[in-house]
Amino acid sequence: MFDVGRLCVKTRGRDAGKKCVIVDKPDETHATVDGLVRRRNVNIKHLEPLKETIKISKGASHATVISEFKKFGIEIKETKKKESKSRPKTQKKKKTPKPQKQPEKKAEKKKQEKPKKDETRKEQSSFVSQKPEVSVKTEKKEVKKEATETKKDKKETNIKENPESTPKNG
Amino acid sequence: MPSGRHKSRSLRRVFVKTPGSRTVLHYKKRAPSKAKCSSCGAVLKGVARARPHKMQNMPKTKKRPQRPYGGVLCSKCTARMIKDKSRK
Repeated sequence: MFDVGRLCVKTRGRDAGKKCVIVDKPDETHATVDGLVRRRNVNIKHLEPLKETIKISKGASHATVISEFKKFGIEIKETKKKESKSRPKTQKKKKTPKPQKQPEKKAEKKKQEKPKKDETRKEQSSFVSQKPEVSVKTEKKEVKKEATETKKDKKETNIKENPESTPKNG
Repeated sequence: MPSGRHKSRSLRRVFVKTPGSRTVLHYKKRAPSKAKCSSCGAVLKGVARARPHKMQNMPKTKKRPQRPYGGVLCSKCTARMIKDKSRK
């Protein structure tokens, strides 16, 4: 019954329910199979024979099987193997080391503050001798903007040293 | 004392050991029952048992076998069905 050329239907596996032809019989229990199914050795228990037979020589190639199936009315489509694309590797962003700016900024600030202090004192002494009224008011406004307690104390002492030049603010 | 909603037996109790070397009770939901063949009632193989939010993230091949009527009928019932169809 299970001879070369017998049409069968596969009952097991992912090819189950598809038609095939016995191409060779290596053992009593196994058979090589081809057609709508992958070409492979299969247990006879997993095949259900049909009434039809096909004239095929032992060990026929895949091409002859396709041509014989066309006569029966069954078309076999040849599928091309998909080329597996390699996944693109995501390039990790390189972490650039952050430049240490914070201590430099503080040093710069201190340097900027120091000349300001000296300049204001110099301005007071120069302006005080020439034009006391206008200069002192402007100076005091500038002092208030930049002010800290230390600055105020120092400037009050400076003002006290020159009492004649500084007018009393009303 | 556990709160009222934790007393139901639809939750399972799990003892968990914390990094602070304390054992603590956690309440977890139970997994669904095993899938069965729709014709003979046998337990199906190759079907995962997990809560819906986990099943959603699983690939298709891990949830059912790659066979016609996979996940619905057992292998015996599918073979029987194909034989009966071909003999007609």
